[in-house]
Amino acid sequence: MDLQSLKKQESKRKISKGYMWAFFCAIFWGIWYLPGTVVWVLNPFDEMQSAIAATNGAEASLIITAVLITAFNALTVMLALMLWNGVLGKFGELKRTIKEFNPCSKWFFLASIFGGPMAILGSFIAMGFIGGAFAAVAALLYPVIGSVLAYYWYGEKISKRAAMGIGVIILGGITIFGGGLINELSSGNVQWIGYLGGLMAAAGWGIEGAVAGKGLDISEPDVGLTLRFVGENIIWWIIIVPVLALIGYPMYSFALQAFEPMTMLVLIFAGITFGFCYVCWYKSFPLIGVGRGQGIGNLYGLFAIIFIFLFFGDAPEWTILLGGALCVAGSFVMITEDSSELETLRGD
Amino acid sequence: MGLRPIKFRILELFLDEKEHWNYEIVSKVQKEYDMQGNFQRDSINFDIIELASGGMLKDVEQKVDEDGTHKKGFLLHKYVITDFGKTRSSDACIRYV
Repeated sequence: MDLQSLKKQESKRKISKGYMWAFFCAIFWGIWYLPGTVVWVLNPFDEMQSAIAATNGAEASLIITAVLITAFNALTVMLALMLWNGVLGKFGELKRTIKEFNPCSKWFFLASIFGGPMAILGSFIAMGFIGGAFAAVAALLYPVIGSVLAYYWYGEKISKRAAMGIGVIILGGITIFGGGLINELSSGNVQWIGYLGGLMAAAGWGIEGAVAGKGLDISEPDVGLTLRFVGENIIWWIIIVPVLALIGYPMYSFALQAFEPMTMLVLIFAGITFGFCYVCWYKSFPLIGVGRGQGIGNLYGLFAIIFIFLFFGDAPEWTILLGGALCVAGSFVMITEDSSELETLRGD
Repeated sequence: MGLRPIKFRILELFLDEKEHWNYEIVSKVQKEYDMQGNFQRDSINFDIIELASGGMLKDVEQKVDEDGTHKKGFLLHKYVITDFGKTRSSDACIRYV
């Protein structure tokens, strides 16, 4: 085979692999909303919610419960990723990377702040207050923030098509949030905190992608991701949970009750799906670029709605369906560009 | 000082500002880090691809791997470090030795 056709073949292979990783990310991410929704009605989280609600009110109790759920989610994700690194034989690299605190690790810890307490907690809050479908679709706005930050920070190009796609996604976002809000405004009962959770998810994941890119570009993604979740576990288990316990919330007594078979099974399921959605997400970036990786990954919104419908029989509001469809359409506008534009992803 | 993360080492090898073929770098890293086998070889090569897609290395020349120096029938790539690559290296305190 001659050089030219081999070059074409290689670039094709790279692009199709990148899309495959991003697609798997979407499936895992979509599935994650199943355990994420189910866990709310399981022991000890349902008891915790009613116990705290009796003393501190329903809203505070939902947020405190969401904190404990997110902390457990971070724990099982970290365990799943440790296993993954063990299989790939990357513990040595993990040690080498963690030693390089300044150039790499500090960015992962920063990413874990935006990913964990902002995006994942926001998602759980949105699931608890409004519902899984809303939580999934609201976060679809994150590539807008990711693309804009990537453009300003490391000069990743935003083509005309990508800009158009971003516009369509924003329209979708307005439909998702606006539709629900108008409904609730007319009934006089607005779940503000749930909507805030949705916004936290979108902003948190967008910022995380751009921040993590800073440390990730000079480290192994599998290793970098694990460090990002180590960082999140430190934030939850060493800072936030003890602080809440000190204030007087019964964090530890309920945390210890989580070691029931059914609850653990659901939490582990959440850890595996979420951990691998991240692995796939980051694998796609060097092959097709952050913007496109996130764009395809966005199909998770569609998968989440389908899975939630199949398993729980909940059909979402039409505004969520329309908004979600717009977001997914926008993602496709972002990615269906000429492959010649794909050859150089960043300006040099 | 012990071994640094693999991508740091790859950047360090490129900091002489000369052009290097991917197979030269891969086999050097394999030896230094004692990472034998095809899986490790491809994993190190993927690190180079990631550095290139991150704009830190530039792909300057390709040739067909006729006799299986790296991977028979596939493309071999020659890279050189970019200005951005030098900046990121100095962020990470990587120096040419």
